[in-house]
Amino acid sequence: MKVSLSTIDYLIIAIYLVTTMGIGLFLSGGMKSGKDFFLGGRRLPWWAIGMSLVATDIGGTDIIGVGGATYQYGIASANFEWIGCVPIMIVAAFVFIPFFYRTGIYTIPEYMEKRFNVSVRTVLACCWLAFMACNIGIMLFASAKMVSGMIDLSSLSHYCISTFGHADWNWDTMICIWVTAILVGIYTSVGGLAAVVYTDAIQCTVMIAGCLMILVIGIYQIGGIQQFKKELDLIAVKNQTDVQKEDPSSNEVTDQNRSLVVPVSSNSPFVWPGILFGLAFILSPAYWIGNQAIVQRSLGAKNEFQAKASYIWGAVLKSVIPIIVTIPALIAVIKFPNLEDGDQAFPHLVSELLPVGLRGLFLAAFIAALMSSIDSYLNSAATIVTNDLYSRFINPDASDKRLLFIGRTMTILLVIWGIFFAHYISTLQSGIYAIFQTLMAFFQGPALAVLMTGLFWKRATGIGAFAGFLSGICCSVSLYALNQPAVYKMLGTEPLFQIPDPFLYFSIWAFLVAMSVIIIVSFFTTPEPQEKLQYLYSRRFQQGENK
Amino acid sequence: MTPLHHFGNFVRESVELIPLSWVRIVFVAIPVLILIWVLMLPKSETTPGDEIPGEDRPVRWDENLKIGASLALGFQIIIYTIFA
Repeated sequence: MKVSLSTIDYLIIAIYLVTTMGIGLFLSGGMKSGKDFFLGGRRLPWWAIGMSLVATDIGGTDIIGVGGATYQYGIASANFEWIGCVPIMIVAAFVFIPFFYRTGIYTIPEYMEKRFNVSVRTVLACCWLAFMACNIGIMLFASAKMVSGMIDLSSLSHYCISTFGHADWNWDTMICIWVTAILVGIYTSVGGLAAVVYTDAIQCTVMIAGCLMILVIGIYQIGGIQQFKKELDLIAVKNQTDVQKEDPSSNEVTDQNRSLVVPVSSNSPFVWPGILFGLAFILSPAYWIGNQAIVQRSLGAKNEFQAKASYIWGAVLKSVIPIIVTIPALIAVIKFPNLEDGDQAFPHLVSELLPVGLRGLFLAAFIAALMSSIDSYLNSAATIVTNDLYSRFINPDASDKRLLFIGRTMTILLVIWGIFFAHYISTLQSGIYAIFQTLMAFFQGPALAVLMTGLFWKRATGIGAFAGFLSGICCSVSLYALNQPAVYKMLGTEPLFQIPDPFLYFSIWAFLVAMSVIIIVSFFTTPEPQEKLQYLYSRRFQQGENK
Repeated sequence: MTPLHHFGNFVRESVELIPLSWVRIVFVAIPVLILIWVLMLPKSETTPGDEIPGEDRPVRWDENLKIGASLALGFQIIIYTIFA
């Protein structure tokens, strides 16, 4: 659905983009070394890192996607921001982040070599690099598709066709991909992590303001909070009546709109075992403790206390995010009850609720959300290439200036790669990028198993970790394959999982398989030497306390 | 039906036997337990201490990370008590 924009709306979007670029470029001054580029010179303040954590986590596709999921399945999708973020962020703030900060590492794979061996480091670095590099292309494409779906770019498209030809290309999407990639690429390659973190802080503010605006105006137009509650009650009663008409014996409570805990029998992908065991216990720790793009910014804090404070501040902000994303989606349930696609909830709200000027502010918020995720993945992917591959294998004696040069060059190359990959995805059948995203999420459970055993179990060996990691990936790929219609029909069986998109379940089993293999293989291999065991959580923490 | 399907069905049926009220308690208990743990952490873990070089001053009340952590966790407890 196209959102009609006025000159004022375009002006607001332009002001936002110019301000972001200006701040990003301003921060590039004083960039002298790799440490400045990759860790912001370890001078970043807690408040900016906390906001950057939130902005990185919430992409433009998430605002639309979480809103769409809420429209379709109710507020259970808010679990991804609440139980899926806040508890582990608090634990990470006091346990894991100070530990990583004290070890002085740049990347999580670097820790893996200190604790295990170079094979574990390399395989993890390659997986993270593949994940981030593909994700840059996917985010560029998915976001561009959404922006071009909301903004009318037909006149620009016609101009491009008349100038460059290729009438078969989807120029609306291509223009968005190019503009986003170039803007993000410039400030990320010039300003490094500091530019990413400070621009993320602005983007977080704009994002929260934009979504909050829809919430307030939406509730006001419905007739206030009490009326909003009454309307939801009516929908719950109607749903209950519909279910009992179809199945008079059913006593199932159907008010999924307002329930965070969804029973196993539901057709929602967010049933409670997946949320509790898959999200809260596995994917969430893997993300907040093991994701390079997330952990890296806290390693750039001024000191250990500020690194902890950044995660706490992020957790406080995270508590607010579902309110400003899921409640607007519930407003859409009331105002537009017959949307075929839940992802259209936010575009409809923007078109119908917001006056001229504020539409521009929301779209600026949306663009902010997508830019903040892309810049973080660009910077972290460049850090992994430079730190875990270039300076580890190609030029271990590289000077700080050389590392800065490599970091910037890699950022530019990753932008170019992202544009080409986004273009490639746009030529594939629709929905293919969602499959890519699922496939790339496969290694998070096994990566968490490796990290946890490395931190807490002194008997864990490098060979065990390597074997466990690969076994876990094989497990999730097999489960995914066995759930594909082409495969299970060929085998004459049924799908293994009975809910749509069972990626939360894949992570549980992949984690358990990886953990089991690490334990078994470790018992049959030689224990790691003492210098490796100093990177156990208990020992390093003890050393820190003794200082 | 493969052995994996039988195993999957067994797990699903076992999980379905767990009353939803118990599950709701677990969702509330997670932030409650973490909140108790945070409140019991020693002051050295939750305040700047002597980490800021050259700054020898008493710790301000708002520099205690327990406040922010309690705020976030308290909010979780309220949300899951009402909506779980």
